[in-house]
Amino acid sequence: MSASTQEINNLINQEYKQGFVTELETTTFLPGLDEDVIAKLSKIKNEPEFMLEYRLKAFRHWQTMKSPEWAFVKFDPIDYQSISYYSAPKRKEDGPKSLDEIDPQVLEAYKKLGIPLDEQERLAGVAVDAVFDSVSVATTFKGKLKDAGVIFCPISEALRDHPELIKEYLGSVVPISDNYFAALNAAVFTDGSFVYIPKGVRCPMELSTYFRINAANTGQFERTLIIADEGSHVSYLEGCTAPMRDENQLHAAVVELVAMKDAVIKYSTVQNWYPGDKNGLGGIYNFVTKRADCRGENSKVSWTQVETGSAITWKYPSCVLTGDNSVGEFYSVALTNNYQQADTGTKMIHIGKNTRSTIVSKGISAGKAQNTYRGLVKVLKSAENARNYTQCDSLLVGDQCGAHTFPYIEVKQPSAQVEHEATTSKISEDQLFFCQQRGLSAEDAVSMIVNGFCKEVFKELPMEFAVEAQALLGLSLEGSVG
Amino acid sequence: MAVANSSQYIDAYAQTFADLSEQSVAWLKQQRADALEQFTSTGFPAARDEEWRYTQISALAKTLFLPAQHSASIAVDAEWLKNYQLADAWSIVLVDGFFSAELSVLDGLPAGVVVSSLAQALAEPASAALLTDKLNQAVNFDENGFVAFNSAYFADGVWVHIPAKQVLAKPIQIVHVATQSAVAINTRTVIVADEQSEAQLIETFVGLEGAYVSVAIAEVFVGQNADVTLYKVQVESEKALHFGGTYVKQARDARFRHDNFALGGLLARSDVHTDLDQASECELNGLYLGVKRQHIDNHTRINHLKPHGISRELYKGVLDDKARGVFQGRVVVAEDAQKTDSQMNNRNLLLSNDAEADTKPQLEIYADDVKCGHGVTVGQLDEKSIFYLQSRCVDEETARNMLTFAFANEMVDKVKIKSLHDVILGQVLLRFPQEGIDKEWL
Repeated sequence: MSASTQEINNLINQEYKQGFVTELETTTFLPGLDEDVIAKLSKIKNEPEFMLEYRLKAFRHWQTMKSPEWAFVKFDPIDYQSISYYSAPKRKEDGPKSLDEIDPQVLEAYKKLGIPLDEQERLAGVAVDAVFDSVSVATTFKGKLKDAGVIFCPISEALRDHPELIKEYLGSVVPISDNYFAALNAAVFTDGSFVYIPKGVRCPMELSTYFRINAANTGQFERTLIIADEGSHVSYLEGCTAPMRDENQLHAAVVELVAMKDAVIKYSTVQNWYPGDKNGLGGIYNFVTKRADCRGENSKVSWTQVETGSAITWKYPSCVLTGDNSVGEFYSVALTNNYQQADTGTKMIHIGKNTRSTIVSKGISAGKAQNTYRGLVKVLKSAENARNYTQCDSLLVGDQCGAHTFPYIEVKQPSAQVEHEATTSKISEDQLFFCQQRGLSAEDAVSMIVNGFCKEVFKELPMEFAVEAQALLGLSLEGSVG
Repeated sequence: MAVANSSQYIDAYAQTFADLSEQSVAWLKQQRADALEQFTSTGFPAARDEEWRYTQISALAKTLFLPAQHSASIAVDAEWLKNYQLADAWSIVLVDGFFSAELSVLDGLPAGVVVSSLAQALAEPASAALLTDKLNQAVNFDENGFVAFNSAYFADGVWVHIPAKQVLAKPIQIVHVATQSAVAINTRTVIVADEQSEAQLIETFVGLEGAYVSVAIAEVFVGQNADVTLYKVQVESEKALHFGGTYVKQARDARFRHDNFALGGLLARSDVHTDLDQASECELNGLYLGVKRQHIDNHTRINHLKPHGISRELYKGVLDDKARGVFQGRVVVAEDAQKTDSQMNNRNLLLSNDAEADTKPQLEIYADDVKCGHGVTVGQLDEKSIFYLQSRCVDEETARNMLTFAFANEMVDKVKIKSLHDVILGQVLLRFPQEGIDKEWL
């Protein structure tokens, strides 16, 4: 193994630092899934009647479906009866009214993760909704956001307080029959974030949700719904971690975004679920449906994701470009190592006139990992002058990993311009030599090249996340320099 | 339990199968039986099959195409055939899937070079022995339903053997002529080019007016350091269905080039698969022109199995009227295949509001020291180029015709055999508005 390969390996082999378990008293359902469990779930959440019906309808539909097999991932069949569908830290009678009432253990856990829930302490500018297993434990800056007219709360709260918005929008982008995991999610989702930005409002701060799986043998089924009304603007961040365990845990989330006329939604994810150990034992199955509907004219949705965790990642943040002149963007860095498998990409469905989409995907594959880009660009007949540009680059580190590119391009409109380009290569010895010959150490050079490879995506991330993402890629270089 | 879309074929072909089985030597009899078993369990490919996602073959279920029968009474106009049959090549002609000695021109083949009917070759013990480790070795029955169908029911085809170090002075042309309607023409071609040989081959598919289905599977074995170029010119009748498969095995340092012109047929599907050994090279070129309601589907797969392989691929499509073009190009680089260099491109030109292009380039890479890339575009003619020509006093329609033609002609120009180039050029021009294209320039 050459010195440079060694450096790359150092860079990629980082320890999972968020793998601790928080000891807590919890309320957890017994494993198993049937209509009673769903009724109990709906009751414990105090949901309105229509939600129970919605869940049961989804559940009945889910039972008729089969687990999809087309993705380029391998895993043993999941036993849905052995998963617990609800787990929450035990709370006092009415639930926490203020931070003082939140279990200090939970607060400690978030502190360890670097997500302070105390408004005084934290950097100003980001409101956080913290979801711990099946429930949202805290949402910060609620008051300040309320002044601006922005609704930012756990979705279980929104079900009770804003049923009219829920009825109108929930499932309108990802219907319950959409796919196997979306149907399951619709039946058993427990918490997540709800955001509503009223007309003409520019959200005064970044919104953020931090998902944490803590309990064993549970699945996390979160649901996020973001509605940006006419002319509004919001930037939303999402982060996630889980403890290190030998069993696989399922995370099947659904995220729906609705952008009305002239609205802009920027959705950024740093996904760092536990990826399993070096031998491929344990880790999270991250099976996620994310979709945005650019309903109004001139609306814009931008997905940015940095995927470093999860044993298996299976997600395709998509944009349905319904409104004329609407814009969809997808920027992704997916890093897989050891036995991780990622099948990720995007779908851009062009329906409106002059719709535009950009896809930039960077895959880094190391160890025995399999990294797949799968994307669909579909231009319907109505989408005059649609434009798409896609670029997928893969970087291979080691001779036992795989990098795959499966784009699907379907065009029914002659005035559309669709371009797709993909390359696969390894870090070239020439580039390394060039950097070293100008006085950089080998590890600095590798770090620079990998970061340069991902730069197009990182520059799309909000500042805090960009720092975190670079750190995620570059952490292991610390200590070995100088 | 037979699959719905195939059971009527199995019933209708029972007698044919019994007859063919009767005539076959033991190993071939076994192969046919295995193929039938495979076909019975899978049937023809369905839309849920990822490889057939964009191509529905419901036409085969709607009409039962009976096996084409060998008939001496059918006369093919030799003059008409000259439009396709090259004068400066050795040619073997199959009429409705059966060898026609009268139409074939095989005089003066160098000693040792064999170009013959596959049925005849299988009937003679000496040549049959040569075929035992070739037939069904470049492709498995489970590849898809058509391969199984073909392996079970093929009656005749072509056997080409080029011995070691033989460099052919003239190309060998295989002409498939379809004269009947409502029949299935099942042919199998086996081409073996031994080490250090060099050959150019042409497969031409032509048809009269009929609505028939042509299932043509070819297996090509390119020996060590051999060089084979295979042109495929598909100009089936307007109502025909064409399912072609070319499966290639390249030995070490072997070079293979395939130029695929998919111009005819109502629904035409072509698969080209090649396995590359160490330091072997392949070049796949393709041009598909769709007009009216044509549906043209091209699938390619390049398997880099060993190090230092090189592959280049360029497929271009022009789609007008209500035509639909499908392209899937897959490049697989196996774990061992370090230093692979692969580049694939697919360019599509959509000329009408009702035309459609679906394209799926794929890279599947298991080695790290490789250079692989692919590019795809779907679009229309460049407005700037049209404007440029208009500013030079060329009217818009002519400018469009010229640019469209130039787009397609890049592929035609790659053809190295002059007489073949002219045949293809004529066929391409037939399918284009010709206003403003001065043939003197070509």
